[in-house]
Amino acid sequence: MFRSPGLFSRAWVRRAITAIAVIAVLAVPLGFDEYTNQNLARIGVFAVAVLGLNVVMGYTGQVSLGQIFFVGVGAYVTAYGATHGWNIGVVLVASILIPGVIGLLVALAAARLGGLAIAMLTLALPIVGVPLAKRLSDYTGGSQGLSSAFSSAPEWSGLYNDQWQLYVVLVVGGAVFLLTRNLVRGKYGRAFAIVKSNEAVAASMGISPYRYKVLAFTVASLIGGVSGFLYMAVVQFTSPETLSLGHSVTLLASMVIGGSASIVGSLLGGAYYVLAPQLANHVDPNTTELLQGALLLLVLFLLPGGLVSLPRVIARKLRRNRPTGGADRQQSSSGAPARGRKAVEEAPTMSGIPTGRPE
Amino acid sequence: MTLLELQSVTAFYGPVQVLDGVSLSVPEGGAVGILGANGAGKTTTLRSISGTVRAGGRILYDGADIRGKRPEQVAAMGIAHVPEGRGGFGALTVRENLRIGAYLRRDRKGVESDIEFVLELFPNLRERYKSHASALSGGEQQMLAVGRAFMAKPRLLLLDEASLGLAPSTAMTVYDAIAKLRRESGIAMLVVEQNANLAFRLVDSATVLETGRNVLSGTSAELKGMDEIRRAYLGG
Amino acid sequence: MGQFIQLVVDGLSNGSIYAVLALAIVLVNQATGLINFAQGGMAVFSAYITWLLTEHGLSLILAILLSVLASFVLGALVERLVMRRFERGDPDTAVVVTIGLLTLITGICGWLWTYNNQQFRSLFSLTTVSIFGAAVSIRSIGTFAVIAVIMLFLQALFLGTKFGLALRAVAINPKSAALSGLPVGRLLMAGWGLAAALGAVAGALVAPQLTLTPGMMDTALVYALAAVILGGQSSPVGVVVAAWLIGVVENLAAVYVHFIGYDLKVAVPFILTFVVLVVRPQGLFGRKVVARV
Repeated sequence: MFRSPGLFSRAWVRRAITAIAVIAVLAVPLGFDEYTNQNLARIGVFAVAVLGLNVVMGYTGQVSLGQIFFVGVGAYVTAYGATHGWNIGVVLVASILIPGVIGLLVALAAARLGGLAIAMLTLALPIVGVPLAKRLSDYTGGSQGLSSAFSSAPEWSGLYNDQWQLYVVLVVGGAVFLLTRNLVRGKYGRAFAIVKSNEAVAASMGISPYRYKVLAFTVASLIGGVSGFLYMAVVQFTSPETLSLGHSVTLLASMVIGGSASIVGSLLGGAYYVLAPQLANHVDPNTTELLQGALLLLVLFLLPGGLVSLPRVIARKLRRNRPTGGADRQQSSSGAPARGRKAVEEAPTMSGIPTGRPE
Repeated sequence: MTLLELQSVTAFYGPVQVLDGVSLSVPEGGAVGILGANGAGKTTTLRSISGTVRAGGRILYDGADIRGKRPEQVAAMGIAHVPEGRGGFGALTVRENLRIGAYLRRDRKGVESDIEFVLELFPNLRERYKSHASALSGGEQQMLAVGRAFMAKPRLLLLDEASLGLAPSTAMTVYDAIAKLRRESGIAMLVVEQNANLAFRLVDSATVLETGRNVLSGTSAELKGMDEIRRAYLGG
Repeated sequence: MGQFIQLVVDGLSNGSIYAVLALAIVLVNQATGLINFAQGGMAVFSAYITWLLTEHGLSLILAILLSVLASFVLGALVERLVMRRFERGDPDTAVVVTIGLLTLITGICGWLWTYNNQQFRSLFSLTTVSIFGAAVSIRSIGTFAVIAVIMLFLQALFLGTKFGLALRAVAINPKSAALSGLPVGRLLMAGWGLAAALGAVAGALVAPQLTLTPGMMDTALVYALAAVILGGQSSPVGVVVAAWLIGVVENLAAVYVHFIGYDLKVAVPFILTFVVLVVRPQGLFGRKVVARV
């Protein structure tokens, strides 16, 4: 969002701003009450989950209704490991790798199909996941679920539990955000974008759509696992309900509402996931789903880039209202060289319909 | 008697002007070519007629301005557009493609006899009658596209680059069949073509577009004689 | 042996319900090339309309007919007012829109009629008749018969009528269809309307068994989608056969495969789908689509 060149482009200024931001964020847990800290921690948990979904769906264009399944698996692995006295590092690694391996296996089959089959098959994950979690009661505690208070603040820290948990979320979640940001801005991110926009073009450039879809889906599952670990650290309880289809749909809605293919949008999506039901409950618990559906459609119609694009859209609107808008158009039409025209003539016509996703 | 007349037609794609005052006219039963390089605005001219691109200026068909009409309305008025890339229905059979072309017609018997006419004109299609259009060769798909347009019993056929992607001999077969179709049916034609040699097998007159404007017009004989045409579009 | 036959017949009956919903999905897919995740939610809404009408004293059969009509209109309106904008864009966005619709419609049902279960009368009697030693309910046979008729009707519609041909053409190439004079917008509305009407039938068939709740169709949607993939996405007969197959195999697996049992039988369609798709990516009855670049 910092587009203005000059001051912000200088390396030391940017570094200083980053440092100040990091310090400010790290100070947050100390400054708020328990309720706020818990809410913030939950937002972090689901921001990570939404981020994972964004990798496969926002950046690579493969609709997944199964993301919550990987969050749930991560949470179950964490709960199982923690209650069986595993080392916390082992728990973290297992809670990431096991969902990742499952995701890889699912993707190997689903990505073969292409198109909307991924959406249809991933829908099965929460649908099958819930009864499966109930069935495997030796590991999952069945319908009762599992609780584990492994994330209490250690003595030496002198912190309250909620503060400690928020730090865990900030550090682990922050690391995931940073890694993902690098992934999607790098070589892989460009390949994802090409696969998303046109698989035939990708293939002609030597980018295998299949392999990148599998990769994106696997990364999404890994990140889902991290989110599950954090979920367990913050909520300290998981049950089959955690991975229900309703939650998966809400996660998808959160991603679109926050902002598809956007890092900041993932944060906003996490905030939406946690805060929207709380707000709706104030109105009438029976309207939660209604409001969410309406909001999702509203965003798709009016703000296809999600909440994260709101400042940009407002800025554009303001600019258009100024009289210079018309001049812009004049200039580009009369100034366009013949070669410019050539390029556009092949452009598809009769569309007039936005694809619904910028970038 | 003029069937179609374009008067200073303009068109934009977004902010970019693609047509900058194109004028031409097609007499009843006549065939007119639009020649020009890639990006000159040939395809857009056809699209502005068939209502798939919004246009300025005047587009008179039978004396009435048809600008702003939707593609299906334009089709219902007797203008059949064979789009660039043939616009085939890959998962439909040859027969079904032809029937789609006749969608607006109510005369069952006439439709069947016209299907027979198309199969006479393009014997290849008869052999592939039950196959899916996607299984046809490029030349056969082009024949099918022309056949589909003919099935609408149009008064005017808009033909966009029928030679695209075809081997020279195939393209020639296609054009000769279209010329035969023209002789036997009397349908007026507006033909976009990059390969002027091919176009002259079919059209009586032509106009040359450059960056969205007419730069030259004349009868086929006149144009063939001009040096610049020969250099630019006839390969020598 | 009696148990086996009974399982097969019940499986065919369950499969028939999945099949109606699957046919509705195929219909939309044929007309627009989209997969409508809201199809189940729309069917639930139709079932609520039927239920509301019977609560006001209408006979069940009349209520279903009125609901079918209302659903046709609503389906067409959904296409015109919501989906139209997204149909020609990115298909993934359009799918997200249908997921949004699913949430919205389920939410509307929950808001208007609460999330509590409502009793829904059955169209067919629950008495059983004995066939080869198996007790088969009239309901199973009736459901089966309804779906067989609908399937044949759709197959005839798609392959034998000008309207069906036009629907298919619009799905394949809407721009070119418009150039041939097809009223693309109205055809799309008709496709969605027909699908919603089918959904109303599915809702009326499934509601007595599951009792009416806003989320009633969630699981049926999953089965229907599996049937759509398995049946090859475009062939009505293929999709119905796939749905029957799913219904029968899941019933048999629930009883004869110890690990699966009744609670995990929902996994069966997906295991089945996985196996089939690994062998035949175009589905059991679908034709391979050759994409040209």
